[in-house]
Amino acid sequence: MKGKRILAALLAGCMVTAGLAGCGESTGGGSSGSTGSTATSGKVKLTALFVKHSLTKDVTKMKWLQQLEDKAGVEIEWQQISADWDQKKSAMFASGEIPDLLFNAVDASGSDFVQYNGLFADMTSLIEKDAPNISQMFKDHPETKTLVTTTDSKIYATPSYQALWPKTNGTMYINKTWLDNLGLKVPTTWDELEQVLLAFKSKDANKNGSTSDEIPMDFNGFDGAYGLKNLLGSTGMQITGISPLGYFAEDGKIKNYYVDDRFKTVMKFVQKLYKEGLINKEAVTQDYSKFQSVARGSGKTAKVGFTWGWEAGDRFGNELKDQYVAIPQLKESTDTQKVCYSYDYYDLNYRSNSVAMSNQCKDKDAAMKFIDAFYNEKNSIQVLFGGMNDTDKGTKENSDGTYEVLAPADTSIDPGTWKWTNTFADDGPLYIRDEMKTKLKLGTDMQAVTKEKSVYDDVLNTVDPKKNVYPQQFMKYNQDDINTMAMNQANITNITDQTWSTWMTNANKNIDSEWSAFVTSLNNAGLTKNLEIRQKAYDEYLKTVK
Amino acid sequence: MRQASAGGSFAATTRKRSVGYYLKRDWQLWVMILPAIVYILIFCYGPMYGLQLAFRDYDFSKGFTGGQWSGMKYFMQYFTSPMFWPTLRNTFLIAFFSLVCGFPVPILLALVINSIHSKNGKRAVQTAVYMPYFISTVVMVAILQIMLSPTTGMLSNLLKAMHLVPQAANLMGDASSFIPIYVISGIWQGAGWNSIIFIAALAAVDSQLYDAAKVDGANRWQQVWHVELPAILPTIIILLILNMGNILSVGFEKTFLMQNALNKSVSEVIATYVFNVGIKSSQFSFGTAVGLFNTLVNFIFLVVANQISRRVADISLV
Repeated sequence: MKGKRILAALLAGCMVTAGLAGCGESTGGGSSGSTGSTATSGKVKLTALFVKHSLTKDVTKMKWLQQLEDKAGVEIEWQQISADWDQKKSAMFASGEIPDLLFNAVDASGSDFVQYNGLFADMTSLIEKDAPNISQMFKDHPETKTLVTTTDSKIYATPSYQALWPKTNGTMYINKTWLDNLGLKVPTTWDELEQVLLAFKSKDANKNGSTSDEIPMDFNGFDGAYGLKNLLGSTGMQITGISPLGYFAEDGKIKNYYVDDRFKTVMKFVQKLYKEGLINKEAVTQDYSKFQSVARGSGKTAKVGFTWGWEAGDRFGNELKDQYVAIPQLKESTDTQKVCYSYDYYDLNYRSNSVAMSNQCKDKDAAMKFIDAFYNEKNSIQVLFGGMNDTDKGTKENSDGTYEVLAPADTSIDPGTWKWTNTFADDGPLYIRDEMKTKLKLGTDMQAVTKEKSVYDDVLNTVDPKKNVYPQQFMKYNQDDINTMAMNQANITNITDQTWSTWMTNANKNIDSEWSAFVTSLNNAGLTKNLEIRQKAYDEYLKTVK
Repeated sequence: MRQASAGGSFAATTRKRSVGYYLKRDWQLWVMILPAIVYILIFCYGPMYGLQLAFRDYDFSKGFTGGQWSGMKYFMQYFTSPMFWPTLRNTFLIAFFSLVCGFPVPILLALVINSIHSKNGKRAVQTAVYMPYFISTVVMVAILQIMLSPTTGMLSNLLKAMHLVPQAANLMGDASSFIPIYVISGIWQGAGWNSIIFIAALAAVDSQLYDAAKVDGANRWQQVWHVELPAILPTIIILLILNMGNILSVGFEKTFLMQNALNKSVSEVIATYVFNVGIKSSQFSFGTAVGLFNTLVNFIFLVVANQISRRVADISLV
């Protein structure tokens, strides 16, 4: 009863505020009256919203940002949100009352611009006039412009490009210390993996005297970056992107792996592993923070044998990271010819809608100049890795024009956490020039990332970007398509979520005999239609790829 | 709330007077009720104009009332969606078991507390049982997660030791245990609080009735059956009718928080579905239509329960 009332109040709230917004537009907008006015100091006052990482500290405490604001001649009143933005967003956007600038707040697919038509400013001419850095980025990397240009040739947000990130997100780890303890070799096929996991389970791999505390295998959901989907590559399926809802491209055709036989193969293998007690019992029900903390073990004693993660230090903590090694993609069996690994280059290096501007912003030129300031060479580095000054201690500029990412000033913190705490990091607007690949000395975490992920270089370098890569943020849809896809996807996800988890955890389920009914139910839930819409958008996208 | 028979005779004996007469005569009462009326008008009736969203294609630039008229499109979309029956069934089952299992408990609790003679003991018990009500849903579900974890959960290990659940069970990730966990934890949390109204009703029972019953040789059990239960029966029925009006309003927060991939087949209820489609995917018209449908079903249940109770027991709302 109480929940219902809250929901009702929420919906009612949306309705009332959106109704008011209707009136507000004709009278010139409510709360934004105060913005755009000139402060006593002669600076332009603007409001901004930043959807930040939960670790990130108060942005007004970042000195580099203060310097940037001063230089751009603006005074920003920051509103910072670090949780549940996707729930708060609808209420705020539908009300029509948005801050002048929105950092990392609009949907990457651009559906917000379609849905809330008229709420955001078209920046096309502003960029030409006030934004030399962004214009430079569009010239150096025309695909960044494609990324943010809507079907009707407007630009409602500025993109980001960060050049330095690897081609894949998840790394496959195995505990080398455990392998050595038991005299085993690194597995290369699914069968070998199963044997290794069985040994982890029964032979006290971490040598603490107990055979029951080892978790042979752990992962985060099916289609998470560190989830079971990474096993699909063993069967020769090329998947793209961090959270693709199952969609991937194969020979220019958009498909969904949930209705692909290779998904069935993976599920049968995983069901077997689960039946043998090799998979963390809480793999489905645990949240991300528990998934992370379990792998950090206790002290020097590791708990998890085989899993996926971003980087060893991030995944296992400083105490345990040396126990783990990155291993190449497994083969389904010894006769497997081709293996693949998730190609996430676009997701990791491009972000489509970094900053958007309210259509009601009073001083659009000042706002645009402020946004552009983030994109200059030096500021972009500060946005990503922290300020170049004695307070922030994030990065430094050497006398020869090169840059360096400093080790965390607090030695108890790993570099990744340090970065996310002290600056906008990957959530900020930025343009890291390609020459930074040689001019910028990265922190130990990023060096480790590059080194660990090099085991996938061979498979990732052979990927054909015109046929087998499906970067979803480049796709453009119209309002009808967005609505149809959203409705269908809610139904599809509802089925896929419960099906994969039930198949895995319930050994009595016969995947073969349930398969065709499952595929039919997905197609009936709208998958056929969604694939059609996506294919259309993908074909359009391919025309822009050179 | 009143008994239907109580007011009838009074109304019949007075002459018809104008509304103004009553306003003037009882103005102090009207002033007292004014804030409540204003609240209901602004926050309950006011937003209702937005319900037309269920019959329109929502268009941000035109506001709530400007979208194209689309008739029953969004209702049909829901009725023909593969999620229609699952969400309706799940919502109904959860609400049904919450009502059937949860409704009698506060009554029993009230009878038990009422029969405690020591005044301090009574207070201590009462406080102890209604404290859980003040735990927020988020914390409550976190407690459940911890207590029922398949490896370290105290409660799940206890249940396993007593062989009440299979040794391999992951209770939070099991479709068949979702409703029991939901209902039992709900009873634990709410029974004490809900019993307050019954305790209040019991306190009003005339002590002469007990004395008379004792003189007639009634034992403790017979006193409960013939004195206490009849005394609180109107309260019970009124509350039952009100609860019937919420038969499809399963708490959003708790279902949402307890939901995971493994129990989704039973935990996806109308409220969470509206949230996923309506709010998260910005399908406002569809969300409004489903919400309106939900409210209509609740309304029908309320009216039917009220009618039945009026016919059978002559007790009803208005």
